[in-house]
Amino acid sequence: MKNQKIKISTKNLNVFYGAKQALFDVNLELEEKKVTALIGPSGCGKSTYIRCLNRMNDVIDICKVEGSIKIDGQEINKKDVDVNLLREKVGMVFQKPNPFPKSIYDNIAYGPRIHGLADNKNDLDQIVESSLKKAALWDEVKDRLNQPGTGLSGGQQQRLCIARTISINPEVILMDEPCSALDPIATAKIEELIDDLKKTYTIVIVTHSMSQAARVSQNTGFFHLGKILEFNLTEKIFKNPDNKLTQDYITGRFG
Amino acid sequence: MNLTILSLIAVFSLSCYFFGKSKVLKQTKISGKKFHSLPEYYGYYLAAWCGLPALIILFFWSFSELYIVKLFILSDFRADPSIDENKLNLIFSEIKSIAEKNFSGTIPQNLVPYVEKFLSLNKILELSKFAVIFSAIIFSLSFAYSQILKNIRARESVEKVIRVVMFLCAAIAVFTTFGIVLSLLFESIKFFTAVSIFDFITGTNWAPGRAFVRDASVQTADVENVFGAVPLFWGTFFIAMIAMCVAVPIGLFSGIFMAEYASRKIRRIVKPLIEVLAGIPTVVYGFFAALTVGPFFRTIGEAVGLNVSSESALAAGMIMGVMIIPYVSSLTDDVINAVPVSLREGSYAMGATKSETIKKVILPAALPGIVGSILLAISRAVGETMIVVMAAGLGANLTINPLEASTTITTQIVTILIGDQSFNNPKTQAAFALGLTLFFFTLVINIIALNIVKKFREKYE
Repeated sequence: MKNQKIKISTKNLNVFYGAKQALFDVNLELEEKKVTALIGPSGCGKSTYIRCLNRMNDVIDICKVEGSIKIDGQEINKKDVDVNLLREKVGMVFQKPNPFPKSIYDNIAYGPRIHGLADNKNDLDQIVESSLKKAALWDEVKDRLNQPGTGLSGGQQQRLCIARTISINPEVILMDEPCSALDPIATAKIEELIDDLKKTYTIVIVTHSMSQAARVSQNTGFFHLGKILEFNLTEKIFKNPDNKLTQDYITGRFG
Repeated sequence: MNLTILSLIAVFSLSCYFFGKSKVLKQTKISGKKFHSLPEYYGYYLAAWCGLPALIILFFWSFSELYIVKLFILSDFRADPSIDENKLNLIFSEIKSIAEKNFSGTIPQNLVPYVEKFLSLNKILELSKFAVIFSAIIFSLSFAYSQILKNIRARESVEKVIRVVMFLCAAIAVFTTFGIVLSLLFESIKFFTAVSIFDFITGTNWAPGRAFVRDASVQTADVENVFGAVPLFWGTFFIAMIAMCVAVPIGLFSGIFMAEYASRKIRRIVKPLIEVLAGIPTVVYGFFAALTVGPFFRTIGEAVGLNVSSESALAAGMIMGVMIIPYVSSLTDDVINAVPVSLREGSYAMGATKSETIKKVILPAALPGIVGSILLAISRAVGETMIVVMAAGLGANLTINPLEASTTITTQIVTILIGDQSFNNPKTQAAFALGLTLFFFTLVINIIALNIVKKFREKYE
């Protein structure tokens, strides 16, 4: 883990939903252009954690985030940060595919339009095409860009959402259980895609599937009851974890 | 009498329930006999057999009773060819009111024997009704009791009875609607035999009062000229448009505010407050429009040198718009809330601001529902009566000046039917024709609106 540039670091991160504390002093350092997997039993705070990284928790009224979150050394957990710019830099893919009820083209063009990334129709076409290509969806949809995105299959929808996310050139992509609603074939395609994307992007993925974490990630963090119990190279975690609980969890003895 | 019988039936049924239930319980305890259903089902079974046949007989008997009496009493009068059906009805109601001691004035001597006949007939019928019903109860009860002893499947029978009762209630609601529509239709047909439907729909002169003056000897030429309903259609449309100009922006934006911007606490306070507007009786809006807003516009208009009548389409339309705000805002709030959170998060995660998200994702997704809610509000505005009666005036003007008096379909129906009217002149029948038109409009709008809303719901469920 040495000699690697740290993209995201959190220090003493505490998150509260009303009176209930969801995260306890989470300290993590996530490396640039690597895939970091976050695993742990349901309700352990993995999703809460990655939603801190693009300030998605702002949307929830009762949620309070305390502590330091730095991206490229810049503190993002303070009032005067422009969250819209932050989210342009830190994209997110959700558990359930959530394409907008618009055409495939408009789904991808949504972000570039909002952020003014394209000067003319031609540029926009370019962005749409390259995003869809990067998400390995272009060949399947190039003849029906004007059809609604909601008409695609679940796996295609999720790849559409990934294409949408990368259309605005983020630096980080957060993935919140991106394959939990998909069948094994679609899952395999997404995993392949993640492998490809890590060349360009820093990826943080929350997953319930041990094998998926083992397949796609370089680093793995194990969450339990809102605390990070173990964080290490994926290989190390799956072969020889330091913590007894981690061992139990990945071998399926609880969780 | 009927009331006594009804309460007796109720008491009997209730005691049958307890009797049946305890009988089965006792049987099980004494002989260890296993019954098919739970004891209370046998109670219901017995109660149903006790009550339902009796109620059915009571219902039909009460309906036919008067008819039978009439047939007997009037048989003498019927022999006289000079007495027609209307006269017969008159005689009968006279006899009836004398018998019931409701008659005022001197009692015609020739009717006295018939009154006596009426009274004795009534007495016989009442007594036999009593007898028939209670023998029916005894008969059906003994049948039901023997069935119970045979250990029938009471649960299944009870389910059947419940289904039939529910069906009957639904049927009554449906038939009532049909009845109303048919009565509208028949009266309208009468109207359209006197006035051509084409003149009604395209004529621009509405002055039904002139037709009334001539009454029996209506001249066709006059009838044709006074029942042109276009000014009413226009007034209705015009005032509804003014109302929508007020209700749509305010309702839409307050709906968006409540769904997207307001915190949960504010929403909990504001939403019921807006909905209070829907609970204010329309007559209150009416006098508010007529006594406050109308004169207010008039004063302002005079100040700037405009001629404003104190009853104006503007005042009525605006107040109507205020009344409709909650319909739009509530439904907008609902449909926006029905847009899945995941879409919002998807948009926020792309770095979109709140208003961008609303404009580009939420409103397009909620659009069918919003359009549906606006259509429902329009149908409400078109059917609204009290405000326009009080504030819009009666003059059937074909004008686009919102400061002049205007009139609507509903207002005209009210003015036509207020006071004593005979029911067979074109003026009164015109009200039915107007009602039918109105019904048709709102029906079409409602069907379209409900379909749109339904499509929207399907998309997200």
